[in-house]
Amino acid sequence: MKIALASDKAGFELKEHIKSYLQGEGKGYEVIDLSEKPAADFVDSSVELAHYILDGKADRGVMFDQYGTGSAMASNKIHGMVTANVVEENTAHMTTQHNGAKAIAMGAGIVGPTKAEGIVDSYLGVNYAGGRHQIRLDMLEKLI
Amino acid sequence: MIIALGNDHIVTDVKMQISDMLKAMGNEVIDVGTYDNTRTHYPIYGLRVANLVRDGKADYGVVLCGTGVGISTAADKNKGVRAALVNDTTTAKYAKEHLNANVISFGGAVVGEHLAEDIVKTYLAADYKGEDDDLVAKIDALEPDNPEQHDNPHFFDHEMKLWNEGYYHD
Repeated sequence: MKIALASDKAGFELKEHIKSYLQGEGKGYEVIDLSEKPAADFVDSSVELAHYILDGKADRGVMFDQYGTGSAMASNKIHGMVTANVVEENTAHMTTQHNGAKAIAMGAGIVGPTKAEGIVDSYLGVNYAGGRHQIRLDMLEKLI
Repeated sequence: MIIALGNDHIVTDVKMQISDMLKAMGNEVIDVGTYDNTRTHYPIYGLRVANLVRDGKADYGVVLCGTGVGISTAADKNKGVRAALVNDTTTAKYAKEHLNANVISFGGAVVGEHLAEDIVKTYLAADYKGEDDDLVAKIDALEPDNPEQHDNPHFFDHEMKLWNEGYYHD
């Protein structure tokens, strides 16, 4: 699975931590870092990541800033994008299963590095369930 | 203040708790549903709240589903709406002060009742500081409007027809 990462300055250190974690032995992910240098702001980083995934260049993404909510707010403006601002492990797996979340956002000021590892494991460890949930995704797809 | 509330069938009880709290604080509440626990679809209610906020018929919106992800995403996908999904009061305060968020959301099945009330109270009590106009404008300009979805009660008729025909099933 190809995982894209993007970050502004505030999320950079946590992004680097998760990058190393996902590249660890046995994880089996191809990690694409869109922010070797921090983006100017979280709008730039989150929107770049959204387009990258929507263009099919990565399977899922993780975006980082100070609070997480800004990256989710901005990237969800992009047609077809579903980003979940996540601070705990349950939402991380539920949003894959029920929302088919194309990315998660984490705030480096809100989520610590060890918990962030558990969150990405939960997010990436399951698949979208489809079925009844698909009508909701079709509805989201009709919106902006 | 006038607050629009919307939710899916998973968290109707949490919506009622927030509604009662808001009324006790002296606010007017516009509850767009859902009103019971019968299975329905969160984008319907996210869109209704977004329309009320966008049209100035409500000052702010509160949208709830199990995790908050689905309904906040639906609300956010509307011109002029900035929906913030949060899990704590720190982020709720930031979302209003710096992103001028006009819709707040949390996971109704994730956040406990005490924190839920604090999140909404903190969000409403905070004021946009006016320091981030460029950032807010940048977010608002990301996608053009879709006039079809604005104040159109029939916007999801096609999906509901398919649902009623059994097209979507587990």
